[in-house]
Amino acid sequence: MDVRSISAAQNYAASRPATNAVPQPGSAAEGIKSAFTDFAATLQQGENIALAAMTGDADPHALVQALAQTELAVETAITVRNKVVEAYQEILRMPV
Amino acid sequence: MSEFSKSLSVSASALRAQATRLRHVSENISNADTPGYRRKTISFESARNAANGTNQVMAGRVQLDQTDLTRIFDPAHPLADDSGHYGGSNVDLMIEIADAREAQRSYEANLKMFDQARQMSASLLDLLRK
Repeated sequence: MDVRSISAAQNYAASRPATNAVPQPGSAAEGIKSAFTDFAATLQQGENIALAAMTGDADPHALVQALAQTELAVETAITVRNKVVEAYQEILRMPV
Repeated sequence: MSEFSKSLSVSASALRAQATRLRHVSENISNADTPGYRRKTISFESARNAANGTNQVMAGRVQLDQTDLTRIFDPAHPLADDSGHYGGSNVDLMIEIADAREAQRSYEANLKMFDQARQMSASLLDLLRK
């Protein structure tokens, strides 16, 4: 038996756990969660101020500022989502 | 909150302050013929926003210009004193128009900054789109 094949099998076994997704607390998942919370809050604030402006309560500066921030947040979210979908499709196209 | 959002909020506070200034100017002009009216002036104050750590501008307290009222000669006026004069307002239309124009220029500058921040964030996101 070739000693190199055993060593390759051992290397494979050793590197195998590295491919398992290990959720690390307080890292990516937390960051994504806080980003989504922030996004939802920005959207909610934009809706509230738009509603108040329609009923004549808020001043136009607050409306414009809230809408600009909402636009910024939505564009960021859409761009990130497109990137994620693109990466997913790239994985699906991978020859197995 | 990103730096772009912060600049948006700072610019919006300056826009609001200039709008307040313009409101006081229009109050002065509309009361230019009111007897005994003293023109209102406001000062701008820097206010620290604790929520996002920015220095925003806000319109300060209203102060009344204490210069003398103009003496207008009109013996038929109900407010006229023994010499036939009454105190008009101390609004100088030239000063008010100049103040309004200054408010407009400052408003435009802040509007430009607002648009600049928006365009910069949009072109930053455009990088990811390609």
